[in-house]
Amino acid sequence: MTELPKALQEFKPNEASERTELQRRRDRWFRALCLAVGCSSIAILFLLLVSIAYQGSSSLNGTFLSASHDPENPARAGMYPSIVGSVILCTLCAIISLPIGVAAAVYLEEFQPKNRWLLRLHGLVQLNIANLAGVPSVVYGLLGLTLFVYMFQLFGKLEQNQVSGIDFWGIQRYYQFVTADDLAVIFVLMDESRESTLKIESVRPAFDTNFRPIELQVWDPATPQPTDPEVLGRTVRKGDVGALVEIYSWYYFRLPFGPSLLAAALTLSLVILPIIVIASQEALRAVPSSMREASAGMGATRWQTTQQVTLPAALPGVLTGAILAMGRAIGEAAPIFVVLGGNIAKRTGPEHLMDSCVTMPILIFAWADNPVEQYRQLAAAAIIVLVALLLVMNSMAIYLRGRS
Amino acid sequence: MNRGLPIPSALEQKRYRPTGSARRSERIVVALLMACALGTIALSVLIVLMLLRESWSFFSSPNVSLTQFLFGTRWTALEVRDLEKVEFGIWPLLSGTLRVTGIAMLIAWPMGLITAIYLSEFASNRVRKILKPSLEILAGIPTVVFGYFAVLLISPGLQWISPSFDTFNATSAGIAVGILCLPLVCSLAEDALSAVPTSLREAVYSLGGTRMNTALNVVLPSALSGVISAMLLAFSRALGETMVVALAAGTLATFTLDPRQQSQTMTGFIVEMLKSDLEYGTVQYYSLFGVALALFVITFVMTLLGQLIRRRYREVYQ
Repeated sequence: MTELPKALQEFKPNEASERTELQRRRDRWFRALCLAVGCSSIAILFLLLVSIAYQGSSSLNGTFLSASHDPENPARAGMYPSIVGSVILCTLCAIISLPIGVAAAVYLEEFQPKNRWLLRLHGLVQLNIANLAGVPSVVYGLLGLTLFVYMFQLFGKLEQNQVSGIDFWGIQRYYQFVTADDLAVIFVLMDESRESTLKIESVRPAFDTNFRPIELQVWDPATPQPTDPEVLGRTVRKGDVGALVEIYSWYYFRLPFGPSLLAAALTLSLVILPIIVIASQEALRAVPSSMREASAGMGATRWQTTQQVTLPAALPGVLTGAILAMGRAIGEAAPIFVVLGGNIAKRTGPEHLMDSCVTMPILIFAWADNPVEQYRQLAAAAIIVLVALLLVMNSMAIYLRGRS
Repeated sequence: MNRGLPIPSALEQKRYRPTGSARRSERIVVALLMACALGTIALSVLIVLMLLRESWSFFSSPNVSLTQFLFGTRWTALEVRDLEKVEFGIWPLLSGTLRVTGIAMLIAWPMGLITAIYLSEFASNRVRKILKPSLEILAGIPTVVFGYFAVLLISPGLQWISPSFDTFNATSAGIAVGILCLPLVCSLAEDALSAVPTSLREAVYSLGGTRMNTALNVVLPSALSGVISAMLLAFSRALGETMVVALAAGTLATFTLDPRQQSQTMTGFIVEMLKSDLEYGTVQYYSLFGVALALFVITFVMTLLGQLIRRRYREVYQ
């Protein structure tokens, strides 16, 4: 933007020809048009926020934030699982895609090869990243569906509501029994037989409800019942049938992933990877090369320079880009819908990596699609929460950018 | 274009050689970084392979012919359960996508471009301080919110204007997608416009040109490649937009030009198919990969074109 030159600023209309007068009038009109169009986007934003706030504010209360989806009663429905789900999903996503994205950006910006062919490859990677940023997110969703959820069906066909695939770690299988005094539950460790139920005949390794090992007693109902309540608390009737229970640790891992938190996080990381790469590249490019030269002058290798000079200098910019990418991830619905499906019935946040997960955009989509009017109002309330969260993230990004 | 630091010749000749361990670890680190960068290429390859492999299950079915797919005007994968009678012609979905995208671009292109011109040529600092953050907030709002907005406000508004609009119609979805693409067009176009050097503007002023002359006759033509690329990128973004059309455009695949009707788009069909109870493995299910392949090809060409135009025809100023 330049200031008008002085001679033009002191322009005298009476000296101007009619043609210039016309030009000036046109200029004013054009300027007014531009201002009107520019302001209309502010008006649209205002209209959008106000209409949604009007629609949703009445449903926004403590219960709404702490309850889970209720298919019968909209008044008792809430979005707690989706908030937890979105936050966990987003964190996982950042853990996966940030290191890869920043590394790719560092390679592209700081380690440009001298070899002609490698340089061409470099350009190809650059173009490819720009193209990846333009791939519709629903296509990433389909990639996640075939690659992570079904794994090209290499591990057999995955059916709904049926255990299949290979478990690796983080899962413990027990049979559940009621004690002889009917007061407590005892878990008997599953052995190699892998039956879905166990008829108890002899003493086996067993655990109480806190999964502390206990000494199991098997009581034959034909004999007199033990009287000591302590012993009774770890006694089961001989011949009782226990059902299979599976206890998962948070790091439970299986192949294929199925519609799980991990599959969704990996898919979403792919969606935001190009965004992180492009933002980090811009941040690195903004570091003045004099800094790099100074570092090289002191005998640092390129990686030492990058690690100790360039990256710290670019950190605010990288973080800004990362937060904006996280904002994109938290609001992204299509790929998660493809990977996890539209099921919003879950009552808790995800409890292990292979657990299903509800996120805020999916909940909003399901509620907005619901024919019942009250659920659509709930969708507006959920939008208020989501947009508020995004505004907080965006202002963090703006604050960081101001410091860089 | 070598922005990386040139290594001083003293270091190149290893007179001040860094310690051996630093050099060794450097090699490992560079290999790791390179692996990450090449991983993005692997990602593209994976997407293409996945689409080809899965859609092969669709195209190789005896009930599907490629000519019918490319030229057919009826798409009944969700309505008809009997595989023998299902018709797979992409045009209803494609026309739905193009209707929605066309309406979106009618809004996003002019509005985005004019806002960009205003921001780069006219806006005072005070206006800019309000306008830019507003656009950034608009850009950050999740797409599902725009879908909700379309159903909540735009659709009833259109029906109030003319009752002939369906509850779910291409226009309301198109308007919402247009609003969604507006910040994208605006920021990319503004980047292109402000890259035009001030000296060109000063030249116009010195010839007695007004600001409008400057903006329309000099700055815009100089930045044309960037502007066109912004438009193409917005176009491909609109083509791939999913949640808005899933909420607001309806579930009927219609082959028509009428923007008041329901119009299922390609992305809308993918969502509907995943919502339906058709099992993974049926031909109808795999048809969504056929649709996704078509969508990918179209958006890929658009984005590539946008990138290439921006690179090739960018006028380089000192």
